[in-house]
Amino acid sequence: MPSNPSMSAAIVGAAEADRIGYLETPKTATMMHVEAIRNVCKQTGIKVSQIEAVFSAGVSPQIAEYLGIHPKFFDTTSVGGCSFEMHVHHALAAINSGICDVALVTHGEIGWSARATKGRGTGRASGGDPWVPDALWSNPYGVTGAPSNYSHSMTRHMHQWGSREEDFAQIAITTRDWATLNPRAIMQSKDTNPAGGPLTMADYKASRYISWPLHLLDCCLVTDHGGAVLVASADVARSLGTKPVWIAGAGENTSHSNMLEMEDFTATSAKASGEAAYKMAGMGPGDMEMAMIYDSFTITAAITAEMLGLTPRGEGPSLWANGAAGPGGKFPVNTNGGGLSFNHSGMYGMQLLVEAYRQLSHTAEDGVNGLPGKQTNAKSCVVNGTGGSLSNTGTLVLVSD
Amino acid sequence: MADYNKPIPDPDPYTTGPFWEGAKQGKLMLPRCTVCNRVHFYPRTICPHCHSDSLEWIEASGEGYLHTFAVQHRAFGGWADEVPFVTAYIDLKEGDRMFTVLRGVDASKPETIKIGSKVKVEFEKATDEVHIPFWRVVS
Repeated sequence: MPSNPSMSAAIVGAAEADRIGYLETPKTATMMHVEAIRNVCKQTGIKVSQIEAVFSAGVSPQIAEYLGIHPKFFDTTSVGGCSFEMHVHHALAAINSGICDVALVTHGEIGWSARATKGRGTGRASGGDPWVPDALWSNPYGVTGAPSNYSHSMTRHMHQWGSREEDFAQIAITTRDWATLNPRAIMQSKDTNPAGGPLTMADYKASRYISWPLHLLDCCLVTDHGGAVLVASADVARSLGTKPVWIAGAGENTSHSNMLEMEDFTATSAKASGEAAYKMAGMGPGDMEMAMIYDSFTITAAITAEMLGLTPRGEGPSLWANGAAGPGGKFPVNTNGGGLSFNHSGMYGMQLLVEAYRQLSHTAEDGVNGLPGKQTNAKSCVVNGTGGSLSNTGTLVLVSD
Repeated sequence: MADYNKPIPDPDPYTTGPFWEGAKQGKLMLPRCTVCNRVHFYPRTICPHCHSDSLEWIEASGEGYLHTFAVQHRAFGGWADEVPFVTAYIDLKEGDRMFTVLRGVDASKPETIKIGSKVKVEFEKATDEVHIPFWRVVS
């Protein structure tokens, strides 16, 4: 008989590579994976040799081989930044069904270093298929990656719901406030980056358009990152020295691949993946005490807030209004400083998981990963990754004891 | 005439051949399902609405409406010389959507571009075999 997997597994540790951000000396994606894996093993006391399952965006056999292990369950789901939330979903299912007890979800990506390495060391296959829909029907028209696509969604949101650029600016400003409390955030201060430190509305408006209506400050950073989390069965989780963060709910969905097939440019499949996660958890948006929401762009975060039921339809930016989602606010969102101001390597879903674990395990303010004022009191967190062109979503409901 | 210096589609003859044949003659050809009568785009070998494989090509009106748009301030290759330019999703009169670079608008004044505007298709010859559809605001 199928059983509800809710709470049958927990995230028992979460770690990053030794250094992340804008690395002065380039590293390869694999090096970033391995640093994070070593760190999460050290944190939890789980040995690399005890890992039974490997989940990564595309490279699980390669990582297993590199580590010299032979996992009995692996998954290479690689559908953009939400892949890692989906990996946790899949790990939960595998653990609940008794296939394994200890699963690794791992990420290494060198969005920044790839400039210096001229694309080498990314672990990605090169070249594109000229017959896929993107190549035939989109690329001939000069679009160049995520910002040039996502901007169409923001235009439609402003038209359909009356949102203004000042509303989206509030997301960037509030998220930056969190970054000032994260020493590992690119934009923590003027010391970490000349453009760092608190943002004003004037800064936002003065920032150039990348793809109107997206200003530069509506867009995420492009950085290096390595991250790893370990997911374990309830029995294993209780035997470790780290605090377990329980997986109460998980869901995933997709609405399209190419934006041509995005029926409503102001909605994503986070509605469906979120409902699935809430249902598994037996909880709803009103039970959430904080959120980690993929913010590749301000518009991504705004729409997701609506889809997850955190605001009424069309009013996503209101979640951030007047600093309500910021430090000391009533509903903390993106407490690491977000993809906007902390770190965004290309697929940001791992960064969401690591921070959600830190917040719910009360390790978000240890001096390295957070300064005083960063730790919240939340015991529940909804995490939502978005991948592709607002295409795919993975939602988790996480809770602490 | 200067050579076309922007990305040129490399048509897949198996599922999109009639589209490009039509384009050479200035016709917008769209796939339509003979079971549910609905048009879809991009062309497929199965109807995404009712999952029939009984499909035909029709000559469309070449008319549509502006669904949403953006102004590109950063681009590469041949498009880099054109910034700022407007990209847009078009609601086809016959149903479903196409993507385009929008003509007949002022990219420096996005506030003057109106969602819902009527648009018409036109084709630009990139090579003898490939004529690329573009849409122009007509009202």
